[in-house]
Amino acid sequence: MTVPSQPIPAALREPSQRVSPRAQLMWGLTAALEAVVLLVVLTVAGPVTEWAPVPWWAVVLVALVAAAYVCVVPKWRYRVHRWEVTGTAVYTQTGWWARERRIAPMSRIQTVDHAEGAVARLFGLATVTVTTASAAGALEIAGLERDRALALVDELTLMAETLPGDAT
Amino acid sequence: MTEDPAPEVAGGWQRLDPRMLLVYPVKELVRFLPVLLGVFVAGTASGGGWWQVAGVGVPVALGLLRYVTTSYRIAQGRIELRRGLLNRHVLSTPVDRVRTVDITAPPVHRLLGLTSVRIGTGTASSDEDDRLDLDGLPAERARSLRAELLLTGPDAGTTADLEPPAVLDLDPAWVRYAPLTSSGLVLAAGVLGLASQALESLGGIDIDTRQISDGSSGWSWWLVVPLGLLAIGVVVTLLSMGGYVVTNWGFRLTHTGPARGGAWHLRRGLLTTRETTLDDERLRGVVVAEPIGLRLAGAARASAIVTGLDRGQTGSAVLVPPAPRAVVERVAGSVLRTGLPMTAPLTGHGPRARTRRYTRALGPAAALVAAAVLLALLADLPLWLPVLASAALPVAAVLAADRAAALGHVLVDGHFVVRSGSLDRRREALELDGVIGWNLRATWFQRRAGLTSLVATTAGGRQAVAAIDVPDTVAVGVAAAATPDLLAPFLVTGE
Repeated sequence: MTVPSQPIPAALREPSQRVSPRAQLMWGLTAALEAVVLLVVLTVAGPVTEWAPVPWWAVVLVALVAAAYVCVVPKWRYRVHRWEVTGTAVYTQTGWWARERRIAPMSRIQTVDHAEGAVARLFGLATVTVTTASAAGALEIAGLERDRALALVDELTLMAETLPGDAT
Repeated sequence: MTEDPAPEVAGGWQRLDPRMLLVYPVKELVRFLPVLLGVFVAGTASGGGWWQVAGVGVPVALGLLRYVTTSYRIAQGRIELRRGLLNRHVLSTPVDRVRTVDITAPPVHRLLGLTSVRIGTGTASSDEDDRLDLDGLPAERARSLRAELLLTGPDAGTTADLEPPAVLDLDPAWVRYAPLTSSGLVLAAGVLGLASQALESLGGIDIDTRQISDGSSGWSWWLVVPLGLLAIGVVVTLLSMGGYVVTNWGFRLTHTGPARGGAWHLRRGLLTTRETTLDDERLRGVVVAEPIGLRLAGAARASAIVTGLDRGQTGSAVLVPPAPRAVVERVAGSVLRTGLPMTAPLTGHGPRARTRRYTRALGPAAALVAAAVLLALLADLPLWLPVLASAALPVAAVLAADRAAALGHVLVDGHFVVRSGSLDRRREALELDGVIGWNLRATWFQRRAGLTSLVATTAGGRQAVAAIDVPDTVAVGVAAAATPDLLAPFLVTGE
């Protein structure tokens, strides 16, 4: 490791790789399902239980907000979500309103997870999660094509294995 | 081991100290106490004496069984603990996985010269059964075991009589800081709660408020309320001081072994003594916390950022209990092996970070005032409500100013140092080798203001050290200077 010098102002570029465009559909469908469940609960809860009467205009308001969310947020997410793996580090950018960039050195990687949620499988997508010894430092790349994700897991596992140290 | 009073079982398995035969039955009796009370009440009612005998006999027998069925051994680089009669349970862990060895001695153990040894492997499991506890070893055996397991210095076992100079010895006068911490208040509140419940169940004290109101008792509200508050204040102060003394009595911090690669030893406790060891290898940094009460009194406390502590074991990373600030800085300096992280001037986060502190503090306060005004107008509530609510504004402003003044960071002498907070101000110093990665988080508002929260992740302490609302380019610059190899490929070039 080189000796740290005094900080000079600098800027990070975005990670080079984008996730699959189908991720927008995945996020959109997930959001739509959640919105439907919420709306059903709101419309049914009022008449059935009588103790929580939700006025109709509130339901319409919630529906409008949910529709806007379903239309806008997946596209926004897709524009933000990026990732990059080099020989020495993993770099991800996630979020939409709050954008989070995470960088972890390859030598500190502890586990590499591959997960496919129910909705993700509909679109042939997968999520790769890279964890480090810090609970605050997991890097998640959602919405990768399945084959791409599997290849990435293999690549990361191999690289993490060849580097020494106990990663703490 | 030249003299080992513990009887040996076949295969190198050793039992715990026979004196535990006195402790286990008592512990089991205490555990069965509720059942025992029931049995005794039922027994007296039915007139039979045998039930009582069985009620006492079963726990005692269980206690004896626990001693007989528990054994441990250290062989072939593994430490193994075997226990249970019907459900045999063998815990086994490689010696080089052992991260901590904590020695505690509750009062009964101390009377008998025994200790309980907890061997920590940094496991995330919180299951009681997965703990490697050797409950009941003679004190000197526990110390030599610790030296054996942690390999702290070549002869850590023999230097026991030649104790190294203390880096910190508790000054009993520091007990004056106890009431100023929130933990002291929580403790006092807990005790008061218990006491009031006990009083309640014993019939309670009956105070006739009408007599006070109409003045017939000779007491007036003007006397009762201040006196009551004073009494509560005195009780809380005494209780928190008591808590401080019980936890921290005899607090002593020492360092053994070579300057690097040795270990810190911490001993404290009035009734139950606790000894904790922190390897230099696992030490990643120091946190100096100044909650508002301590800060106003010129005091602070410090804890260590240590990797490999078991979950829920964070308490054992304490380095300095509430003590004068100068003392805390000196100890933090010697633990970090450089005083600079604690004394170096910090780089502020600039006017935009200051503005954000004000908007974030004043926004909710203004909303509160607006809500109070609306309520007063619409719901016809008394007018003093909005007046009272508007008191939130100056409080929020003061808080914001203090929070803005706290913000700062610096890279100094191989440490990433960050300060933030007002009511709970913290100055954290993290060794750069302990930085596992960086998170740079910015909400839409932060991006508009050109700010980023720079978080260094680490495997110890709270898992992260965060500098909030740092100007974008400064944040990246700091991360790049701290870990040049990591950031270099991702920096914007050609500027």
